[in-house]
Amino acid sequence: MATIRDMMPAFELFQPATVEDAVALLAEHGREAWALAGGLDSMDWFKDRIKRPRVVIDLGGIPDLTGIQERGEGLDIGAMTSLSAVAADERVRSRFQLLADAASQVATPQIRNQGTLGGNVSQDTRCWYYRSGWPCYRAGGNTCYASAPQAMNREHCILGASRCVAVNPSDTAPALVALDATMDVRNRRGTRTVAAEDYFVGPAIDITRMTALKPGDLLTSIRVPADWAGARFYFEKVRDRGSWDFALVTVAAAFRTAGGRIDQARVVVNGVAAYPVRLHDVERLVTGAPASEETAQAAGDLAVQGARPLKYNGYKLALMRNLVRRAVRSAA
Amino acid sequence: MEVLRRAANPWGQEVLIGIGWDLVWLAVVASAAFVVGHMVWVRLRGGFTHEASEPGPGSSGLPERVERHSFAARAFHWVMSAAMLVLLVTAFVPVLGLQFPWVTLHWVAGLALLATVLWHIVHSIGWQDLGSMWVSARDVREGFAELRQSLDPKAPPAPRAGKYPFDHKLYHHVVVVVSFGAIATGLLMMLRIDTPFWDRNTYLLSDAAWGWTYLVHGLSGVSLIGLVAGHIYFAIRPEKRWITWSMVRGWIDREHYLAHHDPERWNVGVDAGARRGAGAIADAVARAPDQDA
Amino acid sequence: MAEKLIGTDIAPPDLVAKITGRARYAEDFRADGMAFAKLLLSPMPHARVRRIDAERALSMPGVLGILTADDVPQRDAPAEQCLTNEPVYEGEPILAVAAVDEATAAEAVERIRVDLEPLPFVLDPLESLRPGGADAHVQGNVIVDREWKSLKWTAEEFASAEAAGRLPMGEPTSEWSHGDVDAAFAAADLIVEETIVHQSVTHHPMEPRSNMAFWQNGKLHIFASTQSTARTRAALASALELDLEDIVFVAEYCGGGFGSKISGSTVMQIPALLSRKIGRPVMHRVTRYEENYFGRARPGFQGWVKMGFRADGRMTALDLYLVEEGGAYGSGDFGTAGAVAHLTYTPENVRVRAVSVFTNTPPKAAQRGPGGAQIISMLEPIVDKGARQLGVDRLAIRSLNAPGSDVRFGPRLMGLTSVHAREALELGARTFGWDEKRMLSGRRNGTKVTGVGIGLSPYTAGSRGYDGLMVVRPDGKLHVHQGIGNLGTHSIADTARPAAELLGLSWDQVEIHWGDTSLGVPRSSNQAGSQTTHAHTRANHAAAEDAKRKIQEVAARTLGGAPGDYVLDGGRVFRRGSRGSGMSFADVARRAIELGGHFDGHELPDDIHAETVTAASKVAGQGLVGVAKDNYGGDGAGVYSWVVGFAVVELDTETGVVEVVDYTGATDCGTVIHPRSLGAQVLGGSIQGMGMAMTQRWVFDPKWGVPFAKRLYTARPPGMLDVPLNAQWAAVGIPDPTTPVGAKGIGEPPVGAGAAAITCAVADALGGRCLCRTPLTPDIILTELEGLRKPYSPTATHIG
Repeated sequence: MATIRDMMPAFELFQPATVEDAVALLAEHGREAWALAGGLDSMDWFKDRIKRPRVVIDLGGIPDLTGIQERGEGLDIGAMTSLSAVAADERVRSRFQLLADAASQVATPQIRNQGTLGGNVSQDTRCWYYRSGWPCYRAGGNTCYASAPQAMNREHCILGASRCVAVNPSDTAPALVALDATMDVRNRRGTRTVAAEDYFVGPAIDITRMTALKPGDLLTSIRVPADWAGARFYFEKVRDRGSWDFALVTVAAAFRTAGGRIDQARVVVNGVAAYPVRLHDVERLVTGAPASEETAQAAGDLAVQGARPLKYNGYKLALMRNLVRRAVRSAA
Repeated sequence: MEVLRRAANPWGQEVLIGIGWDLVWLAVVASAAFVVGHMVWVRLRGGFTHEASEPGPGSSGLPERVERHSFAARAFHWVMSAAMLVLLVTAFVPVLGLQFPWVTLHWVAGLALLATVLWHIVHSIGWQDLGSMWVSARDVREGFAELRQSLDPKAPPAPRAGKYPFDHKLYHHVVVVVSFGAIATGLLMMLRIDTPFWDRNTYLLSDAAWGWTYLVHGLSGVSLIGLVAGHIYFAIRPEKRWITWSMVRGWIDREHYLAHHDPERWNVGVDAGARRGAGAIADAVARAPDQDA
Repeated sequence: MAEKLIGTDIAPPDLVAKITGRARYAEDFRADGMAFAKLLLSPMPHARVRRIDAERALSMPGVLGILTADDVPQRDAPAEQCLTNEPVYEGEPILAVAAVDEATAAEAVERIRVDLEPLPFVLDPLESLRPGGADAHVQGNVIVDREWKSLKWTAEEFASAEAAGRLPMGEPTSEWSHGDVDAAFAAADLIVEETIVHQSVTHHPMEPRSNMAFWQNGKLHIFASTQSTARTRAALASALELDLEDIVFVAEYCGGGFGSKISGSTVMQIPALLSRKIGRPVMHRVTRYEENYFGRARPGFQGWVKMGFRADGRMTALDLYLVEEGGAYGSGDFGTAGAVAHLTYTPENVRVRAVSVFTNTPPKAAQRGPGGAQIISMLEPIVDKGARQLGVDRLAIRSLNAPGSDVRFGPRLMGLTSVHAREALELGARTFGWDEKRMLSGRRNGTKVTGVGIGLSPYTAGSRGYDGLMVVRPDGKLHVHQGIGNLGTHSIADTARPAAELLGLSWDQVEIHWGDTSLGVPRSSNQAGSQTTHAHTRANHAAAEDAKRKIQEVAARTLGGAPGDYVLDGGRVFRRGSRGSGMSFADVARRAIELGGHFDGHELPDDIHAETVTAASKVAGQGLVGVAKDNYGGDGAGVYSWVVGFAVVELDTETGVVEVVDYTGATDCGTVIHPRSLGAQVLGGSIQGMGMAMTQRWVFDPKWGVPFAKRLYTARPPGMLDVPLNAQWAAVGIPDPTTPVGAKGIGEPPVGAGAAAITCAVADALGGRCLCRTPLTPDIILTELEGLRKPYSPTATHIG
């Protein structure tokens, strides 16, 4: 069978108006169904004829999935809320600037208007071998082309490799992990709440999926608890060009400080593994420590312990170390 | 049902990438069906009563407990069993839907299996009687007689076995072949993952060679589901439990020895040490005092 | 008084259509019964088609036909067929299927089985030159004297080069020199030597090279995306072996070409041939994915350079060796590269050696400043290295080495019409504020360090001898017929302005006819080599002079007196000093039609091109026809424009990210015709160069020989946030004395200037360390800053 790209094959399109209907459709069609949010990841797959769902369930017409509700100081963000709405929301900006920063650095203005928070955290990796439709582990095959000795892998992982070396491309994911957000996932059996840190799945556990979503599941809402409202935040995304680009490495951090001392910390890095990596050791190290250059240096060094570069991504160790240092420095 | 998994390689050439995961379900279902079927059949048949032949001459000198498996042999068996179970669980439970990080456990267990197997090979060549595992024409006849007897309760009782009954030997040899396939291909497959030993190299073999490697590994694996399931099932069946206990305790009692074994072929008499190699058995021999001297 | 048209801004005539979406690009055209074509591309970088099994595709409802390599004009490599049975790069079209819609066509392609025999392939020219290295074509890896040859260098050469960490330099296929480089190096006060790598980057114009074709009454009607109009029709006629007049060629707009669509593209033949085969119009919409493969790319260089300087900064010797990645069908950028290097620094002693090697990478083509842009962006930071070691100011060293109008350069020591490089340097330095901004060099602000750079870039900018054709119609307007393409540069309008000014017209009295050969288009240049402004201000000037003479003659015949008594202004012709009398152009046009003969185009000059004769005969009788060949002369001297770029960058030492915070481009391109458009060219071209130096990347997997970065987002051309918003431009504005309007071209020289200003500024920010490779992405820079082991060799390319 010859390969042809950039021409979307036909599928059956459903446009439910309620979450219940969407969940019922997902349950009915199981593995043959594809939940379509903003479509920025999905359309690429469809057009390349690599992922060929028989049924596409467009979530764009479900009002209940859009909008931001207050829950005390915390916020419930509908999964279909656009990234630009998240970035512009005054409540997000005043309480969780970290998330606003992350959302505002995604791709381009048009993509942020179309792209959703739920889609951004649930998107598939951009490994160019996988995206070329090669039969790699993530595609159900038995090979990781990106980790071959001569492979081109500057954009691949330095942590958490397990056969597959892809990275998570989301900008908002590390911010949500840092904010201790939770995800509400619905399916026919009910709703379960998944901590953001557990929502993202590495290849060691599931090599074909990036998230805890299984066939039939629908991410309905992202809850950001009040815990970190108004904390000191640091977000930085390093990429090859200023817009329409995925991160090489991203850091998202939250701190509570008092008297020059860090009382609480969350430090999360993305672009280095198949999931946003929360740096528990670094958090322990900096908690109770002065927000000083020494602490920043030590935090950076600790952050990359155990990291294992591929041929072309050794720079990511330095980049990750430096970004963690900057994040800790920002608490001063 | 998907028997083989194929995919188009980056050049659009169709290559084999392994067995279809449906075979895992097939193996699980077939094993369960066998177990249930066997249980029902045994129930319908009215259970087993081994017609023990008359004890042969020399039985009077037998000890109460006849040693069947040395400590070393038992240790090997159980370590190997643990490794095998870990391998099967880490290989197939994620495929069946319960996901956990399995790769490291799997290859470490695989190496453990390899180590026990290597040890077993050395031990069995150097310290055990390989001949006791040899399948002779007599073994085959004995096996068929056993089979006939189990199918037809009216059939004449099967002759008693040597130290190891025909079915045990056959099982062992099948497991040897299948495990060897799994281990050899597993070692090759370790070249494609990160281990402390070497940098992985996906392209060490051609697509086709890797495909066969995965195929053999997969087929060995699903075969082992059935083999292990059957083994465990028989091990816990009441009429076989005395054998299982022997793998725990090391010995069988005189009654079972006399009922199931032919002392001619498995002589555990006091003079056994002097008759080494004449159909007598390693474990007993190996533990005889004059050998230790 | 009529408007002053030369040197003032206008809204181009296609502006409203473009911004309202009414402009019709190739894929916007429709025809009754139109079918759609889809291609089957080679999945392998080099293979031979053994068998095609299309049975399952052709039996599908809605599938109308298939076109294979056996159905298309046969060419011997390195000439390229539009479909092939021996693909030499991944993505080369093997066959096309037509169906009632694209979805069906795509499904049909999917059902076709092509049995391919993989053949040895090579991506890196140096690997092909190694003993035992693969050749990209079965015939060989280089062409010498029009013959294929398998060129291999010795293992010793590779070993010694690798030990020294430099480019291997075996037998070249091209060599020229002047003076004695070895003696000059021996006498030099300073010698600088580097191995350099310039990446190959794809063109990726916004509009892919889609087109539609149908046949009617034996004529091919084709709607294409191309840079040139008249010349694309000619190229297509030659490719399909048709008479020029049997092609009606329509290309009103072009969403960018940058050299990849000079005279259309090879795939343009497919709908034409497929349409002929199935008897229905065929539309072929090229996708972004396909554009990555056959949309052309700038060839990469792996090179080595040695420069000798006198203590005052004068370059006395230049020794250059270039290994060019020629791609699937070859390339010749190295030729211009050597000449441009010689021109920019005018060393008395120069040697240029090169080898262009065929590789199994997608085909190369000119890309805005081909050869020049690459070599300038690589050599300028090395000149800076010399300046730094000699303690010479970087502006001064460029002025010192830059040529004047008396320059002679290149293998044949060509002369130029005018050179005002030094003036451009001075103007740019003034506009940019070099004296203050150079002090920013090395300034630290937190983790950021500032770098300042200059890049001086010449490129070809003119040609001669084309024809102009225009009609003053009874509506009183001047109708200018343009055979040049509307490739987004405004030149369809800008080159008509000198004509209108000569005739004393306001701009609203001018209509431009372009983009459709059935309207009658004169013999024109290719829209390449930045020649259009120069060539067609001349040609239109010539035709306008012809029209003016005829208008004066009509007036004299009608109103009496001598033609010389009459002046033209505001759409009227009248006797000098008596504006109220005379004739309107409308009356002139009617009178010209009455007079016939040469007045209304029924008699034509002898020296115009046959294509122009045909075109003029189409407009004959419509009014007063101005038609002439550019006979202004000057043959033998080259035309070059110059752009100097000045940049300030801030390099973050913790991330390797480079931000361009300030940029100025100053040009010597002769008379400024259209300032706003010129500014867009100077800065737009500079930005393209910045992208080439910083953000763009084309990575290949060496095992499978296939490219990544197949999408715009992975190819990473620069965006708004990658360029300074306060960029400035300036023009020296000294008219070229050899052309009546004084204007030279501008499209290409800015690319090298923008790229070099960045490579120099980054080297400056790194304290003078030249990385001597592109792109300068954060990974490359951070690896250098952190002193990490480089994962690539000094000559490695297409990596990431």
